[in-house]
Amino acid sequence: MTSITNIAVSDVLDGVGNWRLWGRMGWAEVRRRYRRTLIGPFWSSLSLGFFVGTMGFLYAALWNQAPESYLPFLCSGMISWVLVSGLVTEGCSTFITNSGLLTQTSFNFSLLACAQVWRSLITFAHNLAIYVLMAAALSVPLRPETLLLLPGLVIIAVNGVWAAVLFGMICARYRDVQQVVSSLLQVAMFVTPVFWAPEQLGHRGQYLSNFNVLFHLVDLIRSPLLGQAPALLSYAVGVVMAIVGSAFTFWLFRKLRCRVVYWL
Amino acid sequence: MAHISLEDVALDFPIYGSQRSFRHELVKRATGGFIRRSKESGGHVVVRALDSINLEIGHGDRIGLIGHNGAGKTTLLKVLARIYHPTEGSAVINGRVSTLFNILPGLDMDDTGYETIRTCGMFLGMSSTEIDRKTPEIVAFSELGDFLGLPVRTYSSGMMVRLGFAIATSIDPEILILDEGLGAGDARFAERAKQRVDDLVERTSILILASHSDALIQSMCNRAALLHGGRIIALGDVDEVIERYHHLNSEAAAAQ
Repeated sequence: MTSITNIAVSDVLDGVGNWRLWGRMGWAEVRRRYRRTLIGPFWSSLSLGFFVGTMGFLYAALWNQAPESYLPFLCSGMISWVLVSGLVTEGCSTFITNSGLLTQTSFNFSLLACAQVWRSLITFAHNLAIYVLMAAALSVPLRPETLLLLPGLVIIAVNGVWAAVLFGMICARYRDVQQVVSSLLQVAMFVTPVFWAPEQLGHRGQYLSNFNVLFHLVDLIRSPLLGQAPALLSYAVGVVMAIVGSAFTFWLFRKLRCRVVYWL
Repeated sequence: MAHISLEDVALDFPIYGSQRSFRHELVKRATGGFIRRSKESGGHVVVRALDSINLEIGHGDRIGLIGHNGAGKTTLLKVLARIYHPTEGSAVINGRVSTLFNILPGLDMDDTGYETIRTCGMFLGMSSTEIDRKTPEIVAFSELGDFLGLPVRTYSSGMMVRLGFAIATSIDPEILILDEGLGAGDARFAERAKQRVDDLVERTSILILASHSDALIQSMCNRAALLHGGRIIALGDVDEVIERYHHLNSEAAAAQ
């Protein structure tokens, strides 16, 4: 093994393996938002709930849907979308925001990616509370399929880690990419079936869902929340993405691990 | 056993100005600039910070690095600390490295002193049990007493330095890397800090110290290296290397 391979491999093993530290870093960020406020991060969950509450009735009226079925659909879709898109946008700044640490100490890059994904999952758990309240109020059924939420989250977390490393490296080098990604995601929120179901667009909707990786990732969380099993295709896409993405990212990481610090 | 071996190490810093943006990269590729870029290893402006560095450091070595500002001292320290990877040549660094570059990593001003000890300890690579074992000693040395139960933001800057210093010097590295002496607090604390660094150096296999103070180098090191323009131009006995450095200085003064 050449030395750059060694460095990259040990970065991943030590970084991902040091769950105590990335767990603590993820929590620290959430605790910081709780400081001296009554409900801390729940404020963003509340604003999400407020958004869903108002837009839900509006869209339900626009599209002649029953609010009691549309609201859970929109709410579960939104919290899934916030998780998935947040992993990408925050992934872009993984290394940039930690430049002090990375240029002052010998630190594992992969650890920062894990900390960031963990923090996103904690935020998701906060947002989930909004959905649980809404689901209880509208008596959305709790089915065995709901448990499929867990494997879905695992698949998304794995994808989140490689995305954070990949986008973190690219954005450290090309600072414009961060802006490009966030504007693309803004549009993607409307194009991806989050507010609407693919069936509403007929066969054209298939293009925007089947060929849209973001849709499949959202589906992995939304469907279990609605008490349904996600499509097999969504699992296939999520797992293949996790494997191919990790492999590609590692290939690039191996080449760039020693260079990224010069870009910060 | 701690050991450092640098062979023909060179390090180029890429300097990105406006060409850092994606646009230029794309435009260059479209306008044929790509060929020129590939010819000269990327075509970026680079600064060669280190050149042809050969250094063997073993157990018991206390190396002093001297040289002008910009001679490459800090860059070399960062290579030894595994922060920078050399562009050319090979660097083999065996042993747990510790620097006091950043003494309060992961600091959260709203955390209490005790929480800070745990967080910083983990960032510095200590295990949970190691932190538990070291905490009483850190508490004692920092002399912060009941303040450790309060958020760090209530501390004065001197108290902060004491806490950071107590944590950073509690570790047991095999290779210790110091950049300049440590400015620390009031006169009484400075005296205790010196004692504490001496103890730390005592239990460290290898020390590398960059400093502009002849006296500091003479008191702590048994070998010295003189860096000039990114190269080691003298290596060996501390007094001889310092002599050479002063000679270099007077030459430069005469040339003006």
